[in-house]
Amino acid sequence: MAAGLARRDRRFGLLMAGPGLAAMLLVVLFPLVFTAWTSLYEFTLLRPVHDLFVGLGNFAAALDDGGFRHALRVTLAFVVAVVLLEFLLGLVVALALDSVERGRAVYYAILLCPLLMNPVVVGLIWRMFLHPTQGIVNYVIGLAGIAPVNWLGDPAVAFWTLVAVDIWHQVSFMVVLLLAGLAALPPEPYEAARMEGAGPIRAFFWITLPLLRPVITVTLLIRLIFAVRTYDLVYIMTRGGPGNATDLVSYFIYRQAFVTLNLGRAAAMSLVLLAIVLLLTAWLHRYMRSLRA
Amino acid sequence: MTRALMLSTAAIALLTGAADARTIHILMESVPDTRFVQEVVPEFTAQTGIEVDIEVVNYAEMHTKLVPQLVAPAGSYDVIVVDFYWVGEFTKAGWLQPLDERIAASGFDTSVYFPAMMDLVGRVDGVVYMLPFYNYAMALTYRKDLLEDPAEQAAFAAKYGTPLRVPQGWDEYLKQVEFFTRKPDLHGVVNQGLRPDPIAMEWSNYLFARGGEYYDPATWEPKLTSPEAVAALEDYKRNVQEFGPLGAASFGFDEAFNVAAQGKAYSYITYNFFRTAYDDPSQSAVVGKMELAPVPVAGLNGGWGWAIPRSSPDPDAAWQFIAWIESPEIAKRRAALGGSPTRADVFADPDLNAKYPYYPALQALLEGSKNFPVFTYTPQFVEVLGRELSLAVTGEKEPAAALAAANEEFRALLRQDGKLP
Amino acid sequence: MPDIRLEQVSKVYPGGVTAVDAVSLDIRDGELMVLLGPSGCGKSTTLRMIAGLEPITTGRLWIGERLMNEVDPKDRDLAFVFQSYALFPHMTVAGNLAFGMRIRGVPRAEAGRRLQEVAATLGLTELLERKPGQLSGGQRQRVALGRALLRDPVAFLLDEPLSNLDAKLRAGMRTELIKLHRRVGRTMIHVTHDQVEAMTMAERICIMRDGRIVQVGAPMEVYRNPADTFVAGFLASPPMNLLDARIEPEGAGALVIAHGLRVPLPGALPPGPVTLGLRPEEVTLAPDGAARIALDTVTQAVEALGPEVILVGALGDPRGPEVSWRMPRDFTAAIGQPVRLWLDPTTVRLFEAKSGVAIALSWPKP
Repeated sequence: MAAGLARRDRRFGLLMAGPGLAAMLLVVLFPLVFTAWTSLYEFTLLRPVHDLFVGLGNFAAALDDGGFRHALRVTLAFVVAVVLLEFLLGLVVALALDSVERGRAVYYAILLCPLLMNPVVVGLIWRMFLHPTQGIVNYVIGLAGIAPVNWLGDPAVAFWTLVAVDIWHQVSFMVVLLLAGLAALPPEPYEAARMEGAGPIRAFFWITLPLLRPVITVTLLIRLIFAVRTYDLVYIMTRGGPGNATDLVSYFIYRQAFVTLNLGRAAAMSLVLLAIVLLLTAWLHRYMRSLRA
Repeated sequence: MTRALMLSTAAIALLTGAADARTIHILMESVPDTRFVQEVVPEFTAQTGIEVDIEVVNYAEMHTKLVPQLVAPAGSYDVIVVDFYWVGEFTKAGWLQPLDERIAASGFDTSVYFPAMMDLVGRVDGVVYMLPFYNYAMALTYRKDLLEDPAEQAAFAAKYGTPLRVPQGWDEYLKQVEFFTRKPDLHGVVNQGLRPDPIAMEWSNYLFARGGEYYDPATWEPKLTSPEAVAALEDYKRNVQEFGPLGAASFGFDEAFNVAAQGKAYSYITYNFFRTAYDDPSQSAVVGKMELAPVPVAGLNGGWGWAIPRSSPDPDAAWQFIAWIESPEIAKRRAALGGSPTRADVFADPDLNAKYPYYPALQALLEGSKNFPVFTYTPQFVEVLGRELSLAVTGEKEPAAALAAANEEFRALLRQDGKLP
Repeated sequence: MPDIRLEQVSKVYPGGVTAVDAVSLDIRDGELMVLLGPSGCGKSTTLRMIAGLEPITTGRLWIGERLMNEVDPKDRDLAFVFQSYALFPHMTVAGNLAFGMRIRGVPRAEAGRRLQEVAATLGLTELLERKPGQLSGGQRQRVALGRALLRDPVAFLLDEPLSNLDAKLRAGMRTELIKLHRRVGRTMIHVTHDQVEAMTMAERICIMRDGRIVQVGAPMEVYRNPADTFVAGFLASPPMNLLDARIEPEGAGALVIAHGLRVPLPGALPPGPVTLGLRPEEVTLAPDGAARIALDTVTQAVEALGPEVILVGALGDPRGPEVSWRMPRDFTAAIGQPVRLWLDPTTVRLFEAKSGVAIALSWPKP
C-alpha cells in the first residue's frame, strides 16, 4: 500500500518534471550535439549541408592553426589577469563596503551602473575616453604632467587596456557576490577572535577568507567562464589588434564562423575551448576544495 | 446607434487594412548616404503605398546579421545593400537574385553607371546582381589652407626644391606628410590602423600609389611580396609611427576622421563621403579648409550595391524600391543632400557641379581608382591582410615577412576558390 | 587576581535607546556572579561592555586598579563564552582550541601539552580532529569552554552559555560549570535569563530590569527578601503570591488585610494599600507554634509534580484572587473543596502598592 503510494508519487513527480526536463535537454543538449556533429563535417555557410565527413580533420586543423593557438594563449593571459585582478579589487571593495553603515544603497547603485551596461556600449565609451588625442583619459593624465599613452595602438599597452576596461565593467560582479558572502558571515567568530587577540589582518586571513571560500570559489568560477567568453569588448575596442595582441579566442572563433563562414572548423574550435574551460573549472574546483583540508 | 457601430467597424477595418499594406525591410549601414535615403523614402511610400522599414546598424554588425538571413529559405530583408567585398561570397553562395530580367522588363538604364562601379558592385560574370548604390572610393583629403599658404609654400620649396601643390606623385605626398608634421599640434597624416578592414582598405591606396598590385590580373598570381608592396608597407608604417598622431594604429575611420576634423592632421586618405562632413560645423573645426584630391597614382575603389536576396519575402516590391531610389531624379536628390554618386548623369548635372566644386576631382577619382581583389573569400582575405599589416605597423613583424605571410594565405584562399590551381 | 568594578556604567545606542542605565557593581575576585533578568534587561550588554565588545557610553570600568574603558578586548585578559559558542566552523576542535595560543605565540610544545590537558578535562580528546559541524550542542559548548580555559584569564564571561542546550544537558552542564569554577578559582560572570540556573550556580545574583540593577545578593537572601515585586515575581516557580492588600491599625501594631486574610504586623505602619507577598511553600496543613494564622483556599486545580503538589486556588472564597501553594506529595483535594492552611506571619512580605518596593518589617526576636 505504502509502496504503491510511493510509486504513484514518483510517477506523478516524473510527470510533473517531465516537460521541464525535456525542454532543458532540448535547449541545452541540442546545440551541443549539433555543434559536435557539425565539427565532424566540412560545413560552411556557403554550403550548409552535412555531406562531407572529415572525421577529426577540423580538430587537427584547429590545433594546427597558429592563430588559434595564439588566441588561446592570449585568452589564458587575459582570463588569469582579469579574474585575479577583479577578485582582489572586488574583495577590497567588498570589505570596505561591508563596514559601511550608512548610504550603502548609494554605493551599490553606483557600483552596479557599469555592470548593467551593455558591453558594446562599454567598449564604445571607453574607445572614446581612450582616444589618444581627443580622449578624456589622456587629457586628465596630461594635467598631471604625464605624457599621453597610446592605450589601444601599442600592442604592449592594448592588452592591459582591455584588461582594465573589463575590470571597470565587471568588478562590481565580484563586489556584489563577495559582499553578499560577507554579509552572511556570522559575527560571533569575529568577536571570539577579537577576545583572543586577533587583529583585523589575522581575522581576515584566519576567519574571513576560509569562511568565504565557497562564495569565492563560485564567484571565481562564474567569472572565469564569462571571461573566457569575452568577445564584445575586443570586437568594439581592438578587433584583436594592434597586431594580434588582443585576439581573444571567442572573437577568433566568431570570425571563423561568420567571416570565414567555416562552421565546421568553428564548431571544432568551440569544442576545444569548451574542453579547456571544463578542465579549468574542474581544476579550480578541486584546488579550492584542497585548500580546505 | 447600430449604424454608428457599423461605421466605426468599417473605419477600423480600413485602418487595419492600411496597416497591413506592404512593407519592405532593408538592412543598411550607418553612413551619410543611408541618412539621405531615409530622407527621401517617405516620397516612395506616398507614391506606392509601400512602407519602407530601414534597419540601420554599424558596419561591423552587418555581415553577421545578414548571413543567417541569407542562408534561411525565407529571410527578413527584402532589399539589402552589399559591400563590394562581399560580392564574391554572396554571388558564389547564390544568395542574390539576378536582376537582368527585371531591368529589361522595366526598361531601367544601367549604362549611366561608371563601368568601374558596375564591375565592382553591379555585374558578376556577365550577370547583373546589383545596382551601384554609392561609391566610397578613397581620396586624399588635405588642408587646403596650409597647402595654399605662401609662407608654407616658400618653406617647402626651400627645403625640398619642389613646389608645394596638390601632390602629383606619391613621393611628393610623402614629403608633404613629413613637412607638415609639427607635433603635437599638427601631424602630417592620420591613419586608420584598426584591424581588419580599416587598415586593409587604407593600405591598398599605398600599394596602388607605389605601383603595386594585389595579384596578376591575367593569372590571379598573388603579388604581395613585390618590392612595391614592401615599400608601400614601409611607407604606411612610417606614416603611422613617425608622422601620425598617437594611437593611429588602433583608429577606426571615425576616430581618424575626428583627428582630421579637429585640424590636427594635414592629410587623411579616406572615403570620399567624408568630404561633406568636413564642411559640417557640428563635427568639424576645419570648415572650408579641407579639400579632396585623387590619391596620387591610384587609390582604392569602393562601393555598395542594392540587391534583392534570394530569401527576399517580397522581391517585386523590392525591385520597385530599387528602381525608384536609383531613378535619375532621386539619385540627383540624394547627391544634392551630399551623397556619393555612382552615375555619370549625376556628375554631369550643372546644379550639382555648382554646389560641389570638387565633383570633377571626385569623378577623376572614381575613374582612376583600382579595385580590391573580389573573390569568394574576400572577407577572409581582408581579415588576413588586416592582421599582417597590423603586426607590421606595430613592429611585431618585418614588413616583408608580414606581406609574405599574407601572400601565402592569399594564395591558399585563391586556390580554395578555384582561381589558382 | 583583581576585582571587576563597574561605576555608573551606561550604554546608549545611537538613536537614543538606553540599554544599560548607570549600573554600578563590584565583582569580587573568584566570585561566581550571575546577571539575571528577562531578555532586553541589559545583562548581555553589560557583559559585553565588560569584555570590551561594546564601547561604554558613560561610566567607568575597573579591573583592579586599571581603568578599562578604552582598553582593547584582548588586553583585558578576559575569556568570553558565547551563547552560540562562536566556534570557527572551518577549523577542527584542536584548531579552535589552539587559536588563541597561536595568536599569543605560545610555544608549540607547551600549546600542545595544555591543549591535551584541557581536552582531557572536558572529555574532548576523542573529538580533536572533528569540525564543529560534526559535534553535538553539548560538545560544542565544551569546546567553547575549553577555548576559554586555555586562556587562563582574570575572569570568565559567559553569555547564556547553556540556553541552546536541551533541559537535561543543561542541568549537567550547570553542575560541570560549578565544578569548573571551584577548580580554577577564577571570577566568573554568568549571564542568564533562567532563574533556576541563577539560583543553583551563583554565589551572588545581580538581578536586572530595564537596564538597571534591581537587587544584588546571595541567592537565598534575594529569594527571601526580594527588593521589589519584580524580583519577587521573577525568582522561583511558582513565584511568590502577590495580593492587593491594605494596612489597618490594630492596637499598638497593624493588620494587613487581603480578601479576608488578616495578618498581624509588628510596629506601627501607616495605613493604606500595599502588596502582600506570600511564598507558596510558607503554609502548612496544620497549625503549630509559628504557623498560627488560618488561611482558606478554594481548590481550583491540583498539579502533582512528583516530589510535591501545587495547589492552585482562590483565596478566601471562590471569587478571591488566585494563589498557589506547595503541598506535600500526598496531598489531594477535590475541585471546589475549601482547604484550610496555616501561615507563619513572619514569612509575609510587604511591598509598596505603587512602586512595588519592599517595606521592611521588624519582628521582635523570639
